[in-house]
Amino acid sequence: MVARGGGPATSAAVLVTPAYIWLTAAVFLPLSMMLFFSFLSDVPFTDHAWRATLENYGEFFQKPFYATLLWRSLKLGATVTGLCILIGFPCAFVLAKTIRGRWREALFLLVILPFWSNSLVRIFSWAIVLRGNGVIDATLNAILPFDVSVNLMFTYSAVIIGLVHSYLPYVILTSYLALQAIDDDLIDAARSLGASRRTILWRIILPLSLPGLLAGAVLIFVPVVGSFMEPRILGGRAGTFFGTVIEDQFVAVFNWPLGAALSFILLAVVLLILAASSPVLKRAQ
Amino acid sequence: MKINNWKMAVSAVVVATLLGLGAMAAGAAEIRVLNWKGYGTDDDWAVAAFKKKTGYTVVHDYFNSEQEMLTKLRTNPGAYDVVLINSSFTAKAKDEGLISRIDTSEITNFADLAPNMAASPDLAPGGAVYGVAWTWGLTSFAINTRKVKPVPNSIQVLWDKKYKGRIGWRDDAVEAMQLAALATGQNINDIKDLDAVKAKLEALMPQIKTYWSSENDWNQFFAAGDFVMAPYWSGSAARSAAKGLPVKFIVPKEGAIGWLDGLSIPTGAKNRAAARAFINYMIDPEFYVRWAAEGAPASANAKAAAALPESNINRNTLGDPAVIARVQFMRPIPDQRRKQYLEIWQELKTNAQ
Amino acid sequence: MMNMNRLLSNVGRVYLGIIIVFLYVPIFVMALMSFNASEFYQLPMDYTTIWYRKLWNNSEILDAAWNSLWIACVTTVIATVLGTAAAIAFFRYEFRGKAILQALLFPPIAIPWLITGTAMLIFFFSIGLGRGSKAVILGHVALALPYVIVVVTARLRTFDPQLEEAARSLGANGWAVTRFVTLPWIASGVIAGALFAFAVSFDQFVVSYFLTQPGDSTLPVVIYSAIRKGFTPEINAVSTLIIALSMTVMLLAARYAKFGGER
Repeated sequence: MVARGGGPATSAAVLVTPAYIWLTAAVFLPLSMMLFFSFLSDVPFTDHAWRATLENYGEFFQKPFYATLLWRSLKLGATVTGLCILIGFPCAFVLAKTIRGRWREALFLLVILPFWSNSLVRIFSWAIVLRGNGVIDATLNAILPFDVSVNLMFTYSAVIIGLVHSYLPYVILTSYLALQAIDDDLIDAARSLGASRRTILWRIILPLSLPGLLAGAVLIFVPVVGSFMEPRILGGRAGTFFGTVIEDQFVAVFNWPLGAALSFILLAVVLLILAASSPVLKRAQ
Repeated sequence: MKINNWKMAVSAVVVATLLGLGAMAAGAAEIRVLNWKGYGTDDDWAVAAFKKKTGYTVVHDYFNSEQEMLTKLRTNPGAYDVVLINSSFTAKAKDEGLISRIDTSEITNFADLAPNMAASPDLAPGGAVYGVAWTWGLTSFAINTRKVKPVPNSIQVLWDKKYKGRIGWRDDAVEAMQLAALATGQNINDIKDLDAVKAKLEALMPQIKTYWSSENDWNQFFAAGDFVMAPYWSGSAARSAAKGLPVKFIVPKEGAIGWLDGLSIPTGAKNRAAARAFINYMIDPEFYVRWAAEGAPASANAKAAAALPESNINRNTLGDPAVIARVQFMRPIPDQRRKQYLEIWQELKTNAQ
Repeated sequence: MMNMNRLLSNVGRVYLGIIIVFLYVPIFVMALMSFNASEFYQLPMDYTTIWYRKLWNNSEILDAAWNSLWIACVTTVIATVLGTAAAIAFFRYEFRGKAILQALLFPPIAIPWLITGTAMLIFFFSIGLGRGSKAVILGHVALALPYVIVVVTARLRTFDPQLEEAARSLGANGWAVTRFVTLPWIASGVIAGALFAFAVSFDQFVVSYFLTQPGDSTLPVVIYSAIRKGFTPEINAVSTLIIALSMTVMLLAARYAKFGGER
């Protein structure tokens, strides 16, 4: 894309600056302060003498369980993102291409609505559904002639279900936006030229909707890797992840420098992953 | 997008904002209390009674861990008038200048406090009172009387393979280490054999079904049958039993962890006189006996404790000298130790998955 | 050929239906439990409206809900305006440092909100802003901005820049192009961004937790505190009411605002 119009630099500046001033004041400055803390032995506003150190980052490399947890969290992120895409994209496709008229808007809003329910309450509701003598258990026992005992609580699966449920609307939303912009005439033209359904999907629809899909993927992967609420509440003994360990540094002990260091390691890894997949992202443009 | 709709939306938001700002008008004579939620100070009837007595409205803020409490004190100087601080944290708060000395001459009920608690070196270092002893209790474990028979008398029952996958546990590194210390016959405040404790906890992990971190968690998991026994606090066990759950609190022969909570006044508190009046009310038998009926920890006020009915757990269990003899009270733990415990605990949790 | 299409369409519709059911399972359960007398969410159901009656008297929750609502509205407006502007700038112009600016959108969503919240608390405290609704809005807008920008950008990628060029060649200036050409096309993206911003703010717990003042809290913070000791189904009641309210607002919006595109 090329710069257009008169005084592109000023126009760009006018549009971009307010947002980034806000982000600087509210996020970048505080985070820079946190970054600074991560290189200290103690936070400056208590009485302990503090000094600069790389110990906190060193902790990550010295204690293998941190790396184990980070890997586990990354896997969780990949799994949840993958599932959300697999489940959500067809959903968005149906919504954008198959449904017409007023129904489409209504259904779209219906899909987005769960977004606005309080996530804590939602997670607890999943606990009621998944546990022994919970909704699933009771329903199955009511329907099936034999006794079953279904208790999914405090398992990795429960965490996955909770996270997929929370983040599914993201990918549906972004994919829908991209799919909806694909001109139906394009598809009709391809069909009239004899293209098979698979070809149309593979060579027209997917490439054109890829930006939306990827935007959704990023919005899901990044927070999931650092999540701690769903793992704690739904995971039980299987609920220790990198995010929960970071949380502990602030809530269970007063070790902000370590918590900060671990967070920035997380950020670095996430940025690396995004950078590594940027060729794919570039192609989407 | 229609620009008219846009304008309407903006106007609506502006109106909402103005209404919201109006609703934010602060109250006049009020004191601010920082405590755990649902831990006595915020009971409706207590707040109403205090207002009637003194004209002060009580506004609460809550914390979910001692570290949060400290953070709130550090970052909000002058925002609170009364704060609940566990005795193992009082010294730290004092050293950081977060709380100030309390003049107990106006606190009429102070004289009735059990002397060993009122003068506890953790709450009153060198005789200067920084925390008024308020409640105390035990951390041990509680069982489901319908599912666990016979009634155990040893903490080793938590390791019994019969209950594999049916134990709850609190996700707290210090508590985990201290309970394991009890189980390996050590002093909880001075664990000499960390390896034994670690091994004990490793053996425990397969027993655990899930972690609980609040009384509400405990009740829900217990009621749902997710665990049949789990570490718990004496006051909370009383509350759960009062709610109708088949809970029994056990103080095993190996002993239990004792804790003491004190009420302190932060430095820079705006209404010190009212704060003292509030503390006085909190240690008053009038408040305590009514609170204990709903389920509460033991009172540090000997008079208040004696006023309890026989049926109350705080009277029959915690009032029993033989039980108290087995209790090890928590002392302050240096930050370094805490970090070490957390690291061990996190490693155990990671490897247990 | 036609039958195959018809079949696929129907399969698609059924699939969509299943997903919607999945999305609503916890909401349905939440609503159901708000009518259940059991404090510990035990089945079988014991119908009652007691929690709604208790909720009516629970000023703490009601005040917090109202707070959350107006804070979310303000956040949405600010974040959507600022975010859309930034997204348009990224789309239209190439300039030095653009890639860095875009990369800077990630820290707010990558770093656990716990860290960001604590950092904000300390920072605002040190610059004298302290806690309170101003701080909360400052924080919420900052958290919502990346989402708005990402969503609007995704929509912009489907926008043909030649339309803008054509408008310009006809003599329109930047603002006119934006208002009459770009915005209508990306309206659905902007609205989606606004919905995101609202959701991020309304449901925001961690950052709010650090930045709210005692007695002046937001709903998620109150819910979280309540959960720690004595989570009663009043929480379910208020959540159910909010969903019902949102549903009504959404359906009204669907009637009057067309953002699903022309078809």
